[in-house]
Amino acid sequence: MSEGRVALRVGRYRPEHAPEPYFDDYDVPTSDDMVVLDALNHIKDHIDGSLAYRWSCRMGVCGSCGMMVNGVPRLTCSTFMREFRSEPIVVEPLQYFPVIRDLVVDMTDFLEKLRTVKPWIIRGEEKPVDEGEYLQTPEEVDRYKQFSMCINCMLCFSACPVYGQDPEFLGPAVIALAHRYNLDSRDQGRAERQGVLEVNNGIWDCTFVGECTVVCPKDVDPAAAIQRSKVSTATRTLRAVVWPFGGRE
Amino acid sequence: MRTEAPRRYPVYVPKVPRDWWLRTAPYRRFAAREFTAVFAAVFSVILLLFLSALSQGKDAYEGFLRWLRLPAVVALSSIILLAMLYHAGTWFRLTAHIQVIRVGKNDVPRGAVVAALLGIWIVVSVIVAYLYVWF
Repeated sequence: MSEGRVALRVGRYRPEHAPEPYFDDYDVPTSDDMVVLDALNHIKDHIDGSLAYRWSCRMGVCGSCGMMVNGVPRLTCSTFMREFRSEPIVVEPLQYFPVIRDLVVDMTDFLEKLRTVKPWIIRGEEKPVDEGEYLQTPEEVDRYKQFSMCINCMLCFSACPVYGQDPEFLGPAVIALAHRYNLDSRDQGRAERQGVLEVNNGIWDCTFVGECTVVCPKDVDPAAAIQRSKVSTATRTLRAVVWPFGGRE
Repeated sequence: MRTEAPRRYPVYVPKVPRDWWLRTAPYRRFAAREFTAVFAAVFSVILLLFLSALSQGKDAYEGFLRWLRLPAVVALSSIILLAMLYHAGTWFRLTAHIQVIRVGKNDVPRGAVVAALLGIWIVVSVIVAYLYVWF
C-alpha cells in the first residue's frame, strides 16, 4: 500500500439511530506517512462529521487514541496505514469496554480502579520542607522507571481476556502502577495498596496471558509487574509465617 | 464495578464470545500453554503409578514396565513428551519476565536468563540419561 486510496471499515454506535453497533465503510486517500488517526481525521473533516473518537497529542504520549485496528489494540496515531496489506482496515472501539459512541469507550471503570491503588507517593511521616527533597540514587530510580512510563491508554485492558471475562479484575495498567509505587524507595504505602492487590480480583486473577505486555506502546511490561507483584506478595506472606518475629524488615 | 452507578448516557456493553481463546493467534498460544499442563498432570499420575508399582515388588514393577512398552502407551508418552517440551519452553520464556536477576548494578538480560534455564535443563537431562543408561 503506497500512495492511493484505501478502504476503511469503522465501527459505529449511535444509540439514537440504532440500538446495536454497526460498521460504516469509507474510501480514504492514503500515503506512506499516514497513520490510522490521519484517516479518521480525513473522514471527520471531509466525509462524515458525525464520527466520534478521542485523540489529542498525535505523538503517542497522551494515550487518548487507542482503538482496535484489525482486531489488535493500538494507538492509532502510531499505527501506519502502510502496515496493512489487506483491505478494508477495520477500526473498532477498544474491546471489553462499554461503548459510548462510535469509537469512544467509557473509561470510568479504569479510572475508578486506578484510584483504588493510590498511585502516588504515600509517606508514613512527611519530613519538613527545609530538610530538602527525598533523594534517590540512579539505581533506585531504575527499579521502578519502566513501570512509571504508563500513559493510561488502556490498550493492555483491551488485550486482556481476563478483564474481558471478569470486569471486576483490577487490570494490567492499574497493577503495574501500584507495583511502580511499591518499588519506589520514597514510598511507604505498600500496606495501603495490598488490600486491593492481593485479593481475588487483584493480582491472583491474572493467568499470565501476556498480551498486555505485547500491546503496550511504552514497553511498560504490565505482565512482568503483575507476576513480580505476585512473587513479592507470596514471599512476604511466607516470610511472615516462617521467619522468626514475622519477618519484619 | 462497571454496573454500580446508573449511567447518564446509554452504552453498548459488548459480549465476550465463548470461543474467545480461539479467535486470535496469541490467545490460541495461551490456550495451548494452559492445555499442555493437562499432559504434565497425566505424566505425574504415570509417575505415581510407577512408584506404586515399584513399592509392590518385582512382579508389579516388571508388569508396569511391560505396560509402558505397549504401542498405545508409547504413543501417549510421545505426545506427553512433546506437550511437556512445549509447556516447559513457554515457562522458560515467561520466567525471564518474572525473575529479575541483578549482577552488580545491572539486570541480567532476558535472553541470558532463558539460555541459563535451558542450559540447566540440558545438564540435568544429560545427568539423568547418564544414570539411566549406565546404572
